[in-house]
Amino acid sequence: MPWKLLWKNLVGRPVRSALTVLSIAVALALLCILDATARGFTAAVDLAAQNRLVVMSQVSLFVDLPLSYEPKIAQVDGVQRVLKFQWFGGFYRDRSGFFAQFGIDADRFEAVYPELGMVDGAFADFARERGACVIGKGLAQQHGWKVGDTVPLISSVFPRGQSGVDPWTFTVRAIYEAKRKNFDEQTMFFHFDYLREALEQGAAQGPPGVGTYTVQLKDGARAEPVMAAIDALFEHGPQRVRTTTEAEFNRQFMSMMGNIPLLLRSIGGAVLFAIFFAVLNTMLMAGRERTRDLGIMKALGFGNGQLGLLLVAEALALVLCGSGLGALLALALGSVMAPFVSAFAPGFAVDAAVLGQGLGLTCVLGLVSGAAPALRAIRLVPVNALREDA
Amino acid sequence: MPVAITLRSVTKTYHRGGEELRVLDDLDLDMAGGTFYALMGPSGSGKTTLLNLVGGLDHADAGVVQVGDTNLADLSGGELAKWRAANCGFVFQGLNLLPVLSARDNVELPLLLAPLSRSQRRAQAQRVLELVGLGDRLHHKPRELSGGQEQRVAIARAIATDPQVLLADEPTGDLDRATADSVLLLLQRLNRELHKTILMVTHDPQAASYADQVIHLDKGKLGRIEDNRAARS
Repeated sequence: MPWKLLWKNLVGRPVRSALTVLSIAVALALLCILDATARGFTAAVDLAAQNRLVVMSQVSLFVDLPLSYEPKIAQVDGVQRVLKFQWFGGFYRDRSGFFAQFGIDADRFEAVYPELGMVDGAFADFARERGACVIGKGLAQQHGWKVGDTVPLISSVFPRGQSGVDPWTFTVRAIYEAKRKNFDEQTMFFHFDYLREALEQGAAQGPPGVGTYTVQLKDGARAEPVMAAIDALFEHGPQRVRTTTEAEFNRQFMSMMGNIPLLLRSIGGAVLFAIFFAVLNTMLMAGRERTRDLGIMKALGFGNGQLGLLLVAEALALVLCGSGLGALLALALGSVMAPFVSAFAPGFAVDAAVLGQGLGLTCVLGLVSGAAPALRAIRLVPVNALREDA
Repeated sequence: MPVAITLRSVTKTYHRGGEELRVLDDLDLDMAGGTFYALMGPSGSGKTTLLNLVGGLDHADAGVVQVGDTNLADLSGGELAKWRAANCGFVFQGLNLLPVLSARDNVELPLLLAPLSRSQRRAQAQRVLELVGLGDRLHHKPRELSGGQEQRVAIARAIATDPQVLLADEPTGDLDRATADSVLLLLQRLNRELHKTILMVTHDPQAASYADQVIHLDKGKLGRIEDNRAARS
């Protein structure tokens, strides 16, 4: 095979080749970032723990449940632990400094969520101190917070003080890292009791109940009967509940924001088409410009298969150069974007799976776009090709 | 071993715009091996078509085209490509070379189809370029060569695999007189020293004078055949 000709054809038109490679690189990087974001969204569903259930009001996620439900749920056969989970809705400095905060039961939290590992400070220190909090590694990096720092937050759900804008203060006692992708590292957890005391003392206002209960199942317990039993327990009120698996809860939570993964993947699909047309256009132009060259090569005795392979290989070489560059670009962009994107898509990561899928798709498109001029070359009659002006 | 070319009752018709154009009409022709032929005739007389049929670039509608022992009609497309690579060298009018390759790489192209190592291919390409007087232009791209030099590289490429038949379509059509003469002398040398059978299409009587015989075609039929050797002697 005249591989040297392939190389010379590529470098013979450096501007066109470079622009095509760059367009493929940018498109692949975009595709990988979109795919990583979509995977990040669905990771919370795909990797949700199998032994956790979420109990919420049957009316809405935004309707509180009574605190009296906790001991009753704990009595249900198959339930290991019950954990309160209360959305706080606070922001740091101003509304742009928003991140997720939850009031939880500090004595059970670590046992229910073993996928959180402390990388700085100690969970026990957090558990001992009523006004303490534990924060994700990403959040700590984003704001430069470290163990011992005080974080002031103003809550829209639990306004504090006469004016309603007095800050709540939390002392960072531990920083966690998620051992699995289903959990983001941009969240703060604090004592539910700290919140409760403030409400009882009249220092703050807000809903008196609890947002959701997280139920940890006993080993070997099946989810369906436990869910049915909890729902049946409150069938006659005062507040009916809906119990779901954690995966289903996450799926419903995400669907409230619309089908973002589908939207992202649709954009990714459009990007793929852009790559396809860019390479196809380049290869068709290259094939047409070389009609006479192809005629000469046919006259010299090169077979249809050899010339077809040459054009496909040329398209593939362009795509591989672009894909390689795009993969590097995606990795670089991914590492820069990870702290920000993982706040809403905790599984976000430009990893081997994302890159592999992107590279595979672009290579397939390279083959297809190389096939068009290759077929044309195969059908080319040498006598007609030799009549063409170069 | 010089290769003879035989055409028997060869007919070729083109269809253009609903019109039927008979370019070769029941043509019989015998060309002896090791002879330099010039093909002349007015435009549309079938010269290039005849050349393409002999080179296996096109198929006759009827009749037999035999080059040496091979009846070209018996070969499939793939077999014909292999036959061309081994038996025919082509020189076309202008724009003969692949513009992205150097003179040596252009000459090496047909050698890629032969069972040769890279070093053998390089050595052979260099040898034939020296034979045509371009041993000092190995690395020049076509755009860096004059028209005459380009045609010499094309001739070097045509003889690189040592085929017995050379087919040239207006090889001096774009060249000035002096350059054309040097190219024609080269073809004549290849015929006389290496005993190549050469078939050259030309409009130029002076170019035709370098050939041993001049075959005249008119409206797809054989006209007179002039023997320059007799005239020379």
